[in-house]
Amino acid sequence: MQMERDISHVPTGRGDEVEIHGLAPHLHMTRFPTQQIIGYLVSLLLTLFAFALVAYHWLPLNLLVIVVVCLAFVQGAIQLGIYMHLREGRGTLWHLPVLGLAGFVGLGIVGFSIWIMLFKSGVS
Amino acid sequence: MSTPTTLPKEFQDQQESIRIMGFWVFLATDVALFGCLFSVYAVFRSRVALGPTPHQIFSLGPVLLETLILLTSSFTISLSLFAARRDRLKPALYCLILTLLLGASFVTLEIREFSHDVMAGHTWHQSAFLSAFFTLVGTHGSHVTFGVVWAIMLSMQLALRGLTVINRRKLYTFALYWHFLDIVWIFLFSIVYLTGIA
Amino acid sequence: MKAWAIHLMKLLFPPRVLLPDIIGIDIGLTIAALALLVYLTKTHRWGWLWREWLTTVDHKRIGIMYLIAALIMLFRGGVDALMIRTQLIGPHEHFMGIQQYDEVFTTHGTVMIFFMAMPLVIALFNVAVPLMIGARDVAFPRLNAISFWLFAVGAILLNVSFSIGGSPDAGWTSYAPYSELAFDPGVGENYFLLSLQVAGIGTIATAVNFLVTVLRLRAPGMSLSKMPVFAWSALITSSLILFAFPPLTVAMGLTMLDRLFHASFFTVSHQGMPMMYVNLFWIFGHPEVYILIMPAFGIFSEVVPTFSRKALFGYDAMVVSLLAISFLSYGVWVHHFFEMGAGPTVNVFFGLSTMLIAIPTGVKMFNWIFTMWGGRIRLTVPMLWQLSFIPTFVVGGATGVMLAVVPGDYQYHNTYFLIAHFHNVIVGGTVFGLLSGMYYWWSKMFGWQLNQRQGTWAFAFFFAGFWLTFMPQYFLGFMGMVRRMGTYPAGLGWTAFNFWSTIGSYLMAIGFLIMVYNIVWSRMHPNWDTTGDPWDGRTLEWSLPSPAPIYNFARIPVVHERDAWWEMKLQDRTDEVKISVDSVEPIHLPKNSPMPIILGLAFLVGSIGMVFSWFWLAILGALGIVADLAYGSFADQTEITLDPHYIIETESALGRLQS
Repeated sequence: MQMERDISHVPTGRGDEVEIHGLAPHLHMTRFPTQQIIGYLVSLLLTLFAFALVAYHWLPLNLLVIVVVCLAFVQGAIQLGIYMHLREGRGTLWHLPVLGLAGFVGLGIVGFSIWIMLFKSGVS
Repeated sequence: MSTPTTLPKEFQDQQESIRIMGFWVFLATDVALFGCLFSVYAVFRSRVALGPTPHQIFSLGPVLLETLILLTSSFTISLSLFAARRDRLKPALYCLILTLLLGASFVTLEIREFSHDVMAGHTWHQSAFLSAFFTLVGTHGSHVTFGVVWAIMLSMQLALRGLTVINRRKLYTFALYWHFLDIVWIFLFSIVYLTGIA
Repeated sequence: MKAWAIHLMKLLFPPRVLLPDIIGIDIGLTIAALALLVYLTKTHRWGWLWREWLTTVDHKRIGIMYLIAALIMLFRGGVDALMIRTQLIGPHEHFMGIQQYDEVFTTHGTVMIFFMAMPLVIALFNVAVPLMIGARDVAFPRLNAISFWLFAVGAILLNVSFSIGGSPDAGWTSYAPYSELAFDPGVGENYFLLSLQVAGIGTIATAVNFLVTVLRLRAPGMSLSKMPVFAWSALITSSLILFAFPPLTVAMGLTMLDRLFHASFFTVSHQGMPMMYVNLFWIFGHPEVYILIMPAFGIFSEVVPTFSRKALFGYDAMVVSLLAISFLSYGVWVHHFFEMGAGPTVNVFFGLSTMLIAIPTGVKMFNWIFTMWGGRIRLTVPMLWQLSFIPTFVVGGATGVMLAVVPGDYQYHNTYFLIAHFHNVIVGGTVFGLLSGMYYWWSKMFGWQLNQRQGTWAFAFFFAGFWLTFMPQYFLGFMGMVRRMGTYPAGLGWTAFNFWSTIGSYLMAIGFLIMVYNIVWSRMHPNWDTTGDPWDGRTLEWSLPSPAPIYNFARIPVVHERDAWWEMKLQDRTDEVKISVDSVEPIHLPKNSPMPIILGLAFLVGSIGMVFSWFWLAILGALGIVADLAYGSFADQTEITLDPHYIIETESALGRLQS
């Protein structure tokens, strides 16, 4: 996971050394906030679309729930990617595995709790 | 110690970049917190006792308005960060203040909605479903309220001290917090309200 | 006015806190507190206490405060345990009333898990982890102090409950509906809920802190694969806390909403579901036991190589097994309530996932044994605890697998078999491990060593008492004795087992007293650790003097190998940790701050308001919290700079200048 690095300079005790290599290049400096505006428009569209799906009963209920939840995930991904600058960081992007774990645990808690507490796996 | 200039401004100071990472980790714990509340809601959703069903109590109009407000505030805080990166204090500050006003109006609408339900006799004492609903939505709402208080202090610090190294980091973490709440709301809107009414 | 005062007195001192023994303890504690106040005033120690300890943000001092608090709580929890065992020494024994018995076992469990084991774990993290990885402090020193004070507030809340208002009495798990207002009126349960929530916030903050510390503050060259295993265990424990404590907060929070604000989460008549509490509680509860055991695994992975003079056998396997255990531990929680009847598929899934944990744990056992194999073993006190851990934990683990067998569990669920099992792993694993770590790192904390002979006696009594206490309980479980039984009739064949179990607990108490004597005696006749490396250690903390100077490393070491300090000693490079006069740079350190302790006080005020439903006081506390956070946010100048002269003077006094 970690590569050998150049450790010739004086250590400061603040951990610069561990990760000074591979500093994140994902910085987009533009003159106009194009990305943000696109993100905003897309999230508005997705919200209104989901709303319309429900308001006008375009889909049968089971499918509707699945589609709405999927749309929520897409929107979340847009917020994370565009607004939250997910790939920015200094050195190793440690917040990504932590967030991955958080998503895994969060979904796990919801999924398993439903599985356990709705008693759908038969009577014992 | 060299300061690499290819880094985003908020990450150029090592100490501050560590604080940003710490904030990401905090958000991860909040994911687990909301995960638990969502699981409680999912399990209690149909347990309405003598109280109203989701279908009877939700009205989509105000909720859609709240959603649009929160989406807009998420957009304005991203503009604030964008301006801060271009070293423009005033637009950054104004966008932040706009964000906090939008947040405050979101909270106001939510309180109105809640008090409307309570006035109609639908307190959370009535059923497990209502307990779960008010707690889940209310936890998000109290997060937003806390965010508004935070934004007030942050805008004071920005106004007093300008775009210092520390204030840049604070703005960045506040933006993360605000976008995170937006994501949580998207799930609330979709899973609680939209599927509740469908 | 008078009626109001009478009402208040009745609320604060209901009959259940007016037992003669409780009044006696109250008077004793009041006298002790007054004596302490007088002593501090007479010796003019208030300023010293405030500057050096109460406002400190230094991880080493915070670690020591955690340690002291944990030892006091070990005493408290231990006294509760002795009371429980005395009650059960024979049939029809009525040492305590049944209500008081309920309160005592509740307090025993809560104190031991949350206020003894957790702070002891965090104490050792604070003391050792930053030194091991070559850092000058944790990532967020002030947050670290906040964590400590929130923990302290939690501990205070739980510990004052028995003399003001009444103890919680619904067990350390506080299952709904036992904990609901209708079945458990009074403020005792409120104390429990607030205490765990406040302490839980502190623990989450600690987890954030150590996760970031280990990932971001390692010395140059120390890649993850060269990190000491204890640092790995700190990393993994933190990631477990991160996702285990929010469910606890939610479980406690929902119960609190039910009790104080009439929500209906667990009220069956409003279609609430008490089992949802149990589900949430164990989503927390199972990772929690791994939160407690991982640090012990980490400690043993440091102790065994040091006292065998061999590198750890199978480092990669050790790390992978830690990761595997922590991953699996998220997916086993239903084995605490198979009897709910979620269905065969659910139960089989969780039974199997539970059994799987035995595999990585077994790997670890073999690796420790193989590390010792052919090594030059020194039987020091830390090593004795380690050696006794291996058979003890194997028994505890094996009975754990028995409990994971679903049909079997239907038989011995919540019997003394379960009690014996979890004491077997928590005492035999966590407590043995933490005591091993305490003896191991003691000189690094205080600069003097604990007497080995006395330590051995303490160990011997504790170990013998442990087996005598808990082995009979397995049999009691098979014979049908259920947990939390306040008293039992004669003629069931339980008497002898219970008698010997109680005698065993007295032996453990003697072991604890010897340990206290050991600490006091060693303080009076200090055996100063002048080298900083009394055990001939392997990791970086032993390259520092004992105790380490405030800035830890005058010169941050550069790491090339695992066991960095050992390699330096082998290759005669120990001069690398010394400074030369002309190359010293100023060091920036975080400044002491009163903000954490004030935050703690605000939480205390607010919590008391919640406990007694005095919401004006709760709001006052909340405002205090916000004001204190604002104060912390607006305070600038949070760092001090140590100038090179000071560093050179300190280091030369320690004989650590390059010639």
